[in-house]
Amino acid sequence: MSDLAVLQAIRLKGRVNREDLGSDLVDDLVGAGLLVDGPTLRLSPEGRVRLDELLASERSSVDSSVIACAYSEFRSVNAEFKALVTDWQLKNGQPNTHEDPVYDAAVLARLDEVHQRVTPIVAAASAELPRLGRYAEKLQSALDRVHAGETMWLSRPLIDSYHTVWFELHEELILAAGLTREAEDA
Amino acid sequence: MSTRPVILLDGAASAPSELLGHKGHGIDMMRRNGLPVPPAFCITTDVGTQYRVEPETTMSKIWADILDGVRALEDATSRTFGHGPRPLLLSVRSGAAVSMPGMMDTLLDLGFSDDVEKALAAEGSAEFASDSRRRFIESYAQIVAATVPGDPYEQLRAAVAAVFASWDSPRAAAYRSHHGLDDQGGTAVVVQAMVFGNLGENSGAGVMFSRNPMTGEDEKFGEWLPGGQGDDVVSGTVDVEPITCLREQQSATYDELISAAKSLERLTADVQEIEFTIQDGALWLLQTRAAKRSAQAAVRLALQLLGDGLIDEAEALRRVTPAHVEALLRPSLQPETRFTADLLATGLPAGPGVASGRAYAEVDAAIDAADRGEDVILVRHHTSPDDIHGMLVARGIITETGGATSHAAVVSRELGRAAVVGCGSGVTESLAGKLVTVDGNAGEVRGGVLPLSAWSEDSTPELRELADLARRVSPLRAHAGGDYPRLDRHSEIAVRSAMASGHSDVVSDSPLLAMLEAIRVSS
Repeated sequence: MSDLAVLQAIRLKGRVNREDLGSDLVDDLVGAGLLVDGPTLRLSPEGRVRLDELLASERSSVDSSVIACAYSEFRSVNAEFKALVTDWQLKNGQPNTHEDPVYDAAVLARLDEVHQRVTPIVAAASAELPRLGRYAEKLQSALDRVHAGETMWLSRPLIDSYHTVWFELHEELILAAGLTREAEDA
Repeated sequence: MSTRPVILLDGAASAPSELLGHKGHGIDMMRRNGLPVPPAFCITTDVGTQYRVEPETTMSKIWADILDGVRALEDATSRTFGHGPRPLLLSVRSGAAVSMPGMMDTLLDLGFSDDVEKALAAEGSAEFASDSRRRFIESYAQIVAATVPGDPYEQLRAAVAAVFASWDSPRAAAYRSHHGLDDQGGTAVVVQAMVFGNLGENSGAGVMFSRNPMTGEDEKFGEWLPGGQGDDVVSGTVDVEPITCLREQQSATYDELISAAKSLERLTADVQEIEFTIQDGALWLLQTRAAKRSAQAAVRLALQLLGDGLIDEAEALRRVTPAHVEALLRPSLQPETRFTADLLATGLPAGPGVASGRAYAEVDAAIDAADRGEDVILVRHHTSPDDIHGMLVARGIITETGGATSHAAVVSRELGRAAVVGCGSGVTESLAGKLVTVDGNAGEVRGGVLPLSAWSEDSTPELRELADLARRVSPLRAHAGGDYPRLDRHSEIAVRSAMASGHSDVVSDSPLLAMLEAIRVSS
């Protein structure tokens, strides 16, 4: 893992356990004042600045039209993914008790469609930014677990569920396209 | 298709609400009873159904009927559509039984051209004419998703088609399948002569409830916006006044509104939510429907309507569902408590539940405060995965932007946190540091730490009264004690099997719930 990969992984998750990160760069980054050590690791203000510099430099070497195109396609599938997660959580406006297998199966079938649509988008983005290739693996791995009946891998926070990975990927594409989340919300 | 694709809503429509849509049916009922309602016609649900199969052919086939409808509105108002000197503007609304996300609901002020604006400026004021035209152009662009045609008749045709087509929008279709609603059929369209709440002095728009739908008190409740139009009132973007302000400003018109509300309650035997406009001191009712109500209000209003002789005992019990009573038995924020606390922000209810604590805008500060043992509310512009540690320590979540599917909404539900999202820009700054209560059921943030409480079948007078009624009406009488067989659960199966065994009296921990279930299964 590069400095960029480590700093970005910690930024996206907020706080990370050393063991979960499994990188031998951590001590150097703590020593350089870029990470705050403790029960968990997090970025220092200097670490955020350094990460922004590394991301800007990474951005300068990619074909921005490819990334812009990937981001635009991602947005078109993003709404459907978020809607299906909400439909998984809520049924008739009430928490889904998951007692209706037909309903649940219909929602999960939509996840397969979303996965088919997002896979080529991640592939196109990773051709420019190979670092993003790991999102394809993480999405596939979450999907496999959902298929195996471990449905908490659809939307549970704190684990690399489909929703967690999806959101990190969303943040990466916003950054790679040179945009900010605030501007995208406005 | 029915022989009458377009039906005038003049009080003599004599057609069922399946054909007219609920809005159209309500308008016709009000006209029939002499209430002041702007002239309107309705394009039936039959046409809406036909439109889904053959859009172009259907519009061509009924266009002459629509023009006849417009002529009738012109005659009734002594105005002309599409030109001066007294131009007629129209509202176009869907008549779907329930308002659905993705369905086009309301388009106001249709019928503008340069000439029409000039004529309206001469008749009213230049400001009124340009304000109305601006409203029209903005909502047309948003709703029909096209630029406004210059010809008012083309505007009308496109707006009617947009309402019909919106029945099949993906969101509306998903909503129907989600809520088990019939996907067949289609919507009706109501076309109504505009009245203007934005016509200067002594004008405005509002919503009036014939009784308070939150607390269930027998008091008038509603909102009033001087100088506004109906869409301003429901948009939530403008500060509205309580309905009592109307009494101070225009007492005669207020009295007329109160008396119309009373009539509508008697005619429908239910508490009504009435959309109205006042133009130059004259009251106009635009639509009426049964008021949505809280569980508290469902119980209190059923008992009041019974007491007023509007419904009988069996009907009063049908108006209260087991779900209402179950909600009342859970600790919750009582409406009386809620309405006496300051309303600091409103947004979308995204994670059910109510939570209080001090608002923190930064994740690290929130975590430190939680480590000190404080109850923490996290308030952010939006949330993303790196906020998760702050969300974990928080009891409630508030965001400025984002909807029901946003990260904050999804994760709050996953974690079981009360959440209100999309409260608008600036709330992070205005709430940070304050003690607040997040009401994830109502979509509100109120000031202070508000206590939760629950009703009980034993001690809450309203529930005792309802149980007494139920014992007179229910085929199965349930008691808190006594020498009767015991009903262990109040589920449908348990209740059915007790009745099948020939029991007429049982002992139950929740006698009222058991009897409501018995009434439900035997009706």
